[in-house]
Parts: sequence; structure tokens; C-alpha cells
Amino acid sequence: MSDEERSQQPDSQPTTEPSGADSQPAPAEPASEKPAAPAEQPAVAAEKPAAPTEAPTAADEKPAAGASKPAPASAAADPASAADAAPAAAGDAAAKPKVKPEGAAKPAAAAKPAAADGEAKPAAPAKKAPPKKEAPPPNPRTIAAKELADQIAATISASFGQEVVEETGAAQFKSMVRVRKDRWHDVFAMLKDHESWKFNYIEMMAGTDYKDYIEIVAFVQSTELGHSVLLKTRTDRENASVPSLVSVHPGVNWEEREIYDLLGVTFTNHPDLRRIMMWEGFKGHPLRKDYTPWEGEEDPDVAE
Amino acid sequence: MSLSDGKTQLRTEEMILNVGPQHPSTHGVFRLVVKLDGETVVEAEPVIGYLHRGTEKIAEDLQYTQIIPYTDRLDYLAAMLNNYALCHTVEEAMEMEIPEHAEYLRVIIMEMQRIASHMLFIGAYLLDLGAMSPFLYVFISRERIVELFNEISGARLTYNFMRIGGLRFDAPNGWLQKVRDLVPQLRADLKLCQDLITGNEIFLNRVRGLGVYTTEQALAYGMSGINLRSTGFKWDLRKTKPYSIYDKFDFEIPVGQNGDCFDRYYLHMQEMEQSVRIIEQALDDIPDGPFIGKVPKFVRVPAGEYYTGIEGAKGELGFYIVSDGKDKPYRMKIRKPSFVNLQMLPELLKGQNMANVIAILGAIDIVLGEVDA
Repeated sequence: MSDEERSQQPDSQPTTEPSGADSQPAPAEPASEKPAAPAEQPAVAAEKPAAPTEAPTAADEKPAAGASKPAPASAAADPASAADAAPAAAGDAAAKPKVKPEGAAKPAAAAKPAAADGEAKPAAPAKKAPPKKEAPPPNPRTIAAKELADQIAATISASFGQEVVEETGAAQFKSMVRVRKDRWHDVFAMLKDHESWKFNYIEMMAGTDYKDYIEIVAFVQSTELGHSVLLKTRTDRENASVPSLVSVHPGVNWEEREIYDLLGVTFTNHPDLRRIMMWEGFKGHPLRKDYTPWEGEEDPDVAE
Repeated sequence: MSLSDGKTQLRTEEMILNVGPQHPSTHGVFRLVVKLDGETVVEAEPVIGYLHRGTEKIAEDLQYTQIIPYTDRLDYLAAMLNNYALCHTVEEAMEMEIPEHAEYLRVIIMEMQRIASHMLFIGAYLLDLGAMSPFLYVFISRERIVELFNEISGARLTYNFMRIGGLRFDAPNGWLQKVRDLVPQLRADLKLCQDLITGNEIFLNRVRGLGVYTTEQALAYGMSGINLRSTGFKWDLRKTKPYSIYDKFDFEIPVGQNGDCFDRYYLHMQEMEQSVRIIEQALDDIPDGPFIGKVPKFVRVPAGEYYTGIEGAKGELGFYIVSDGKDKPYRMKIRKPSFVNLQMLPELLKGQNMANVIAILGAIDIVLGEVDA
């Protein structure tokens, strides 16, 4: 029955939908939802004029992230760290100066988090579980995530020294800690057994080629205490190697083989480091940005 | 082990046996190299990659919407869930608002997909164990769901139906009523399966106490989904990290007791019942409204890295996206539940009888499209 009504006016505005009236949760939600829709419209409209200004920004970023980066200090310009800061732009005072030009260049982007402050975002905290990071709107969550990252960083530096932690931050309400690669394994082993963290479950592990370095990331989770963190490390592209985590978390065995296979990162002390997706004898590492198929070989498709 | 009766010494030799990659019981192109001593497995080594298509690399050259059909081909038995996992990550990254109607419709579709996938698991698993008939029965009920998916999306297997911000189409007239009619039918189908399989003495003797592991092992191996819950550990992302609108529904997370193959089979059964409950509630509450939200013409994810996981049919299915602010991902990584769950197989097979190899492998519930990605 409800389908028929809908099919008659398929493009009905969200404001006219009766859902607000019968939606269960709190009376606060429909009230906040209604202003949300008109508020978003100007934001979308504003995005269009902003588009031309956005293009140069993207173009600017390209050389920065591209091949010839003069100093390692400019690492802040790479997509990852620029982005870490981006969600935090609205509230986080600790954001890097890099953010400012970007925020100014994109009025639409700046407007969105601002609009998100008051509007239907209260629904969002319920979405992500960890009780620590819950409560009010997005910005406090980012701050809470940052605080959690700092606490974890403090634990790490207490065990291994100040220089092990290279960077802390919050990416989309998730805490992030970057550590030095020679302590990669030790950090995981320590955090797994540490009383107040107990990171016993690796959710996901991935590697990314950033053209100047390769970054290995792992989302670790404490199934008992409920918090999670994104741990990172970086390695050079030539002779890329990172200590293996298999002795701490056996579950990363294949993930590490996959990263070795596709990104060419050697995991030291890995019990069985072989290619897993590609066959033995395959040359190159396809997920590297400069990979070209059949480089220096005859393409069998062409040769035959 | 040497065969001897005191006088004559029989020499025994280890034998290497290749299972697959074209063996029907391996659920696709999966190869297992087993070293046998008589009937006992000494060592087993899974060989994968035969279906590797480099989805992650391909995705780097595609716009976000263009990646959706590629996700259909990961776990091709649960394509809707894969679609959703990608869209969800992008939506979270862009902090997009999804219309209520679309979210409810998505949940209905996802839970139907979960039932279809679990149904197929049960049929295929019983087929692995030598029981032909359940396979035919579950295909009847799976067909009911597939028919409805065909009606709403125009495809029977690779739907390409979810969109960033909503869905491709709205439900056609009368479709929701058909789902409503399907609910009692599904309940009857499940009852049939219960009667046919769960009480079957032969089946019970075959799978009870087989392939046992503990919660600690499962967590250390990064397992998720039913493989983790069979050990009695309550970990379902729909509850532990609620996404979409799952916090609005009343459903339970069934857990196993022994972590054996029977628990893994039985959890599939129980989960289907819970999925039916969710569908029922969603059908009652579904509001009217648009089926897709306001989405910019070019979906540009703000620069940064994002990861969100959902409870797929096989376990935690997640997409990790690194964006540099363009309309294509800089890097996309798929957290493939089958791939991670399969890792423990060599451990489980050690010391087992050759006939149990397939029984243990089948219970892990892998799909090679996902393992190899």
C-alpha cells in the first residue's frame, strides 16, 4: 500500500516525508532533521561555484604528493596527513597549518562540518560503539579520539622511549598512532598484554604506496575493553621491510603475505613469506604506483 | 606410523595429494595440498589466487560508483552486502545522510541476502557431506529470494543495486507486499530444514566435535562472523558497532557452545531466523520517502583514510579507502572475511582423517571470489 503512494510522487522532498512524525527515538530528532534538509541545499549549491577553486587545490596537491618531494619535512602535504587534519579542521586547534589554506579554498567543505554541528548528527554517536568516544556531536568525538591516541602514545613511549612515537592524530573519529618501524612488532606485543589496552584482535591490515614511502596500517581492537586504534608505520620503498607480527597475531600471516606479494614489503621473521595471490616467479608488485605490467619482458599476448 | 605385525615390516610412505583446484567440494578454484600418512593428514597447505582479478588495483582507476559492480564479484553469493559495504564506507567518509526509506529498504534487502547466502551454505555443506536432498530444498527457498531480487534490481546474482546515498531503484509496486508474503514462507522453509537436517542422527555424528577451536585461537587468527561466534564469543558488528539502522531492531545474536562444525552449521540456521525477524520489523516500520539522498554528481571523498566494516554473510567485510580528494580512490583495500577465516585451515586439518578435510573446509564457509578478490 505504501509503495503505491510513493510511486505517485517519487521525488518527494525529504521535508515532506512523514517519517519524522512516526520515527521512534527522541522528539529531538525530527526537529533537528527538518532544518537539516534546507541547510544542506545551500551547501550543495555552494559546492558548484566552489568547484573551479577546488580544482586548483587538487592540482596543487598533486606535485606535493607526486614524485619529486624535496624534503621529508613536507610529509605533511601527503594525502594521508592532510586528511587526518581535514575532519578535525572545524574544532581541533592542534590541526596543522596545512589545513588552513585548504579550509579557506573550499567554503563548501568548511560549511559542512559547521552545519553538522547542530543538525541530525546526534544520531551519529549511536552508530559507533566504543563508549569512550561516544556522547555529543562530531567534534568532541574527534577530540576524544585524539586523546585516546595520545594516551596510547604515552603508553608506548613509556615502554620504548619518546622517539618511537612519530605522530598521533585522529582520522574520522578513529585514533591513530604512527610508530617507528623497528619497534613495530614490540609495540603490538606490548599493547596486546598491557593491562589497560589489551589490543588482542587485528581487524584489518593494509599497505599503501605513497610514492615516497610505503605505509603499513593495522586496525587493532580490544574485544574486552572495546577501544580500537589505527597503528601505522612507514618504510622506504627500496628494500622495504617491516618486522612481522605473526608471532603476536597469527591472523596476519596471509595479510602480510599479500602485502609482500602486491606491494613488495618484506616482513622480517615471517615464517612463510611467499607470494600468495600471484604465482611464484611473477615479477613486480602490482599495487605499487609505478608498476607497469610486463616491464622488461615480452608481453606474451603480443609476442604470440 | 608403521604397519607391523611383529614379523613382516611394511614400509609406509607419506603421500602428497592435491585437492582441487577444480574439485567441486572446494567451492571454487581452491587448491589444497595435503600430505597424507595413510588416511591421516600430516600437513595441509592451501594454495589460493586462482581467481585473483586485482580488484583493488582496478578500483584505483574507477570512480566510486563504478567500483560497485566489481564488489558484486567478490562474494558473489552475497552481492548486496558487498555493495552496501562499499557504499557505507564512502557515505561515512562523506558524512552523508541517507533517507530513512532507503535505509529500511537496504536492511530488508541485506537480510534477505544473508538468508540466501546462508541457505546456500547449508545446501552446499550437506552436499559436501554426501547428502543430496537438502541442496535441492534450500535452492527452492533461495530461489524465492533471488526472484524478488530479480524483480527489484533486474539481476539474479550480480545486482549492482546499492548506490552511494541510497539505492538504484525504488521497490516496484507491490514488492514490499511480496516480501511480506515471503516471511511466513521463509519460516516454513527454515522449519523444513530444521526437521530435515538438524535432527538427523547421521549428520550429527558426522559433524559434532569436529574442527574445534577456542575463542582465543579464533581471535588470534582474526576470525569474524559465524566462525568466531561458534566459539561462544558474542561479536556481531550489527550489535557491537551498530551501523545503518540496526540499532532500531530487536534481534538476538546466537552464539555456539563448542566451536565445532555443528555449531557453525546451527548458527547459520539460527541467524536466518533472526534475519527473518529483522525483515518483519523493517517491513512494519518502513516509512515513505525518496530512495536516494542528495548526492553530488561526482562523488568525491574528502582526502583522508577511512575504514568501516559491516557484518557480511561470512564475517567482517570492510573497505579501507585512502583518498586524495579526487573522485577515484588513491588506494582501496578490502577486508575479506573468507580470506582471513581460511587461514586457520592448516591448523584445523592437522591429524584429521582425510574424510574430515572436506567437512572442516566446508564449515568455514568460504567463497573463492572473495578469498582471491
